[in-house]
Amino acid sequence: MSRIKSNLPRVLGTVAAVTLSAMIGGQAVAQEIAIGAVVPSSGPFAEWGRSNTVTLKMLEQQTNDAGGINGAKLKITILDDAAKPAQAASSLRKLAGDEKVLAVAGPLTSSAAEVTFPVANEMKVVSTSQASSKPGVAKLNRPWAFRNTIDEGVLAKTTVPFYKKAFNIKTVAVIFDAKDATASTVGKVIMPAVLKANDIIIANENDLLSFNTGDLDVSAQVTKLKALNPDGVVVSADYSQAITVLREMKRQGLIKPVVGATQLISSAILKAAPEIPVIAPATFYATMTGPAPEKFTATLTPLLRKESGLPKDIEPSMYDANIYEIVSMYIDAIKKTGVTGKPADLEADRTKIRDHLAKLEGFAGLGGPIGFNDDGDAIKAFYVLQGQNGAWDTKVKGCSSAPGHPAC
Amino acid sequence: MLIQQLVNGLTLGAVYTLLALSFSLVMGILGILNLAIAELFMIGGYLGFTLIQAGFPLPVAVLAGMTGAAVIAIVIEKVGYQPLRDAPLVTPMLSTLGFSIILQNIATNIWGSDPLQLPIYGDQYTLGPVNIGEMQLLVLGATVVLVALVAYIVQKTPMGRALRAVAENREVARILGVSADRLTMLAFILSGSLAGVAGVLIALHYGAITPYLGVEIGLKAIAVMVIGGTRQIWGALVAGPLIGIAEVLTVAYGGSQVRDFVVYGFMILILLLRPQGLLGGARSDQGQRV
Amino acid sequence: MSTYYASLLAESGILLLGALSVYIILATGQLSLGNGAFMGIGAYLSSYLTVALNVPLTLALVISAIAAGIIGAIVAFPALRLKGIYLAMATVGFGEMVRSFFLNFDTMGGSGGYRGMQHISVGYVWLWAGGILIAVMLLERSRVWLEMQAVHDDETAAGLIGLNTVVTKISAFAAGAAVAAISGGLFAHHNVYIEPANFGFERSVDFVLAVILGGSTVAPGSLVGSLLLVFLPEFLRPIADWRLAAFGSLLVLVLLVRRQGILDRSLIRMLTFRRAAA
Repeated sequence: MSRIKSNLPRVLGTVAAVTLSAMIGGQAVAQEIAIGAVVPSSGPFAEWGRSNTVTLKMLEQQTNDAGGINGAKLKITILDDAAKPAQAASSLRKLAGDEKVLAVAGPLTSSAAEVTFPVANEMKVVSTSQASSKPGVAKLNRPWAFRNTIDEGVLAKTTVPFYKKAFNIKTVAVIFDAKDATASTVGKVIMPAVLKANDIIIANENDLLSFNTGDLDVSAQVTKLKALNPDGVVVSADYSQAITVLREMKRQGLIKPVVGATQLISSAILKAAPEIPVIAPATFYATMTGPAPEKFTATLTPLLRKESGLPKDIEPSMYDANIYEIVSMYIDAIKKTGVTGKPADLEADRTKIRDHLAKLEGFAGLGGPIGFNDDGDAIKAFYVLQGQNGAWDTKVKGCSSAPGHPAC
Repeated sequence: MLIQQLVNGLTLGAVYTLLALSFSLVMGILGILNLAIAELFMIGGYLGFTLIQAGFPLPVAVLAGMTGAAVIAIVIEKVGYQPLRDAPLVTPMLSTLGFSIILQNIATNIWGSDPLQLPIYGDQYTLGPVNIGEMQLLVLGATVVLVALVAYIVQKTPMGRALRAVAENREVARILGVSADRLTMLAFILSGSLAGVAGVLIALHYGAITPYLGVEIGLKAIAVMVIGGTRQIWGALVAGPLIGIAEVLTVAYGGSQVRDFVVYGFMILILLLRPQGLLGGARSDQGQRV
Repeated sequence: MSTYYASLLAESGILLLGALSVYIILATGQLSLGNGAFMGIGAYLSSYLTVALNVPLTLALVISAIAAGIIGAIVAFPALRLKGIYLAMATVGFGEMVRSFFLNFDTMGGSGGYRGMQHISVGYVWLWAGGILIAVMLLERSRVWLEMQAVHDDETAAGLIGLNTVVTKISAFAAGAAVAAISGGLFAHHNVYIEPANFGFERSVDFVLAVILGGSTVAPGSLVGSLLLVFLPEFLRPIADWRLAAFGSLLVLVLLVRRQGILDRSLIRMLTFRRAAA
């Protein structure tokens, strides 16, 4: 009660806004709009989940400071799945079933998405992953599953030709993380197909090299890469694992340009071997230019660095940008489709959000306009980046849809 | 390429040897698996990293890693092992698992879950087709010295003889006036310090660490300990490089995807064919009750 | 009951079966740290049967259990020469080999995982979990269990009084493997997606943890342990960043306070007000 008193002017404002919007829209709106998020704040991806949490709290604050959604306050309930698929699925059940949220952002990993998306369909609530890029995961779980990421198969088709041209690549050798589902699909299937389509010879086509997540020593693999003497190296792994490979390449003197998937994009990988050029696609990176991304980075970076449990030199990641966009899209849907947020309308509200996302076009994201394709994956601009000497540099702008689409 | 691969294999083998020895100091003497050793290794690595980053010389970093890991080993012994020493073996093993979960969480909260990196430490040498780093040589050298040191302590000093007496028969040792409790603590400290030193050296060689550094390598080190024989100090020195080279050659000859299959298959084979380990000593067909 | 709690209960049921698979083997004094592998075999085989061959789930589970039981017996035969912690390590090796096998088993997706299973209800999970728990409790009252206990307490003596210790141990191993396979089959059809990482060392340790925390001398102990392991991390959510550390600390604490596990015979007697006749 005391809280209400101290916030009296604000509450009155909210009440006025609610009444106003109710009068204008002819519809009553709940006091609070509930949205959920599933992020891995503990376990091996803790840093991603924790920075996602800071990002969402920032967005919640920004939204409410700007008067909320149609006058109602935004409340984001964030649950930690410890990067465990089972916990991600039960978190979604808790959010959708107990907390009655309108839509869920997350889960982050593809393994968690594989288990959680079927639950989203069962519960009839939208779930949008901020990082999963394993091919076809959302496609298998339509209509409620979405991913604000681009399928790696699409990205490679732009990345590889640039890589070939920029470094005059005729032969490559492939190494991938066999334990990581996304990395192994990219390394074993996607990259070989795209390389062949671009007339690049794979020196170890019948003996693709692999290592396992968590391996400390990849010296044997790198020695073999070196013996193949390729023009470049395909490293398909999550950046924290790719760092191990890059460092070993540097140590053994294999200074050849590296190409990979979005999994490589991070500030950390730039420190691994600054003299080795790394080519990878991204939809966002911390040093990206433009009014929207610069404002996002400038606001979020100090908040991240203030947070205990996060390193002092942390920068916003692509996944922070993605989850920020996801919830922004939900807010957009709620504002535009007459979502009431009232318990009685829950099912109808969730359907409205789903339908809005499915036909979304040209939503103003951080890196450009965003929409979704029939597979539930994002149609958005992406950039082929070259990382070298400690910085990412945009080389090519691409788009994950046919030319002429508003997102491009 | 083959020579370079052998160098790679020996380095990896040295890593396994040091960790396997840490495991076997507790295992051989107390018959329990201290699962937190992999995390002591990780903490040692982080402490070493932090000090090197702050500009301290290598010996100071090594000392800090050693001391830090030893102190945590004391806590684990006091809290997690000592009160449970009479329980079935699996109980203290699980309590050390509790500590390894706690240590991973602490490391994540202090240093983050992303890899912490240092520039390549020390010089790199190229001898013909072979590439070898100063840190790599140091790891190899330190492994031989540390194994020799531990072997000396365990086999030649009165303290070591007491340790072996406890390992042989706790009751008889007690009757002979050996304080088993004090020696248990000693085994934990020795094993923890070793893991800490290994953590600093190995983390500096690879130059990148995460809180989950010890998980995969810890399990392999346990396999190496079994292959070498849990009661034989020198066993780890033979088994480590053996597994390291087996692993590297599997990768070199086209089997990188079945590497783990080969390593663990080899361990099972050794267990079945030479249950006492390569160099003998342990009696795996007469293990203690679980 | 909300679908969230229903799902947690289903997970507990699946973990209970995994725990019982360890409990049965532990009753003969053998520690298996590789039951995650048998769970994996059950998960993959039953999923293949239901998805690719349209076999009804219950039949698929039974077939998987029998297959895993046979593999268990084959593995146990040489492995049982080993004792104590050495057997445990051989099972760790076996577990890692099976995981590595599924990682390279491209027919069923390899590291990409396998999907297409039909979701099952919490009721179906507990039909199996409860049924097998009762079966194990009945077994505990039989002569067979006494023989298992004899092997556990003193194998040499058990052999001397004419018990066939090898048959007892292998049967326990096979039965444990079969139960773990059912756990895996239910896991696969509860999550409707499986990948090799689901069945690694961590999973095997979870099984042992559930048994030891709950109480390794009575079958209902596994029930207590499984419920604890599934629900505790959920209740620790408010601690946020320190959730796993708190879990680790509570784990150590429970072991220190009740090294025999939360549930044992005397506690059951106290709870049921039964006289110490048994």
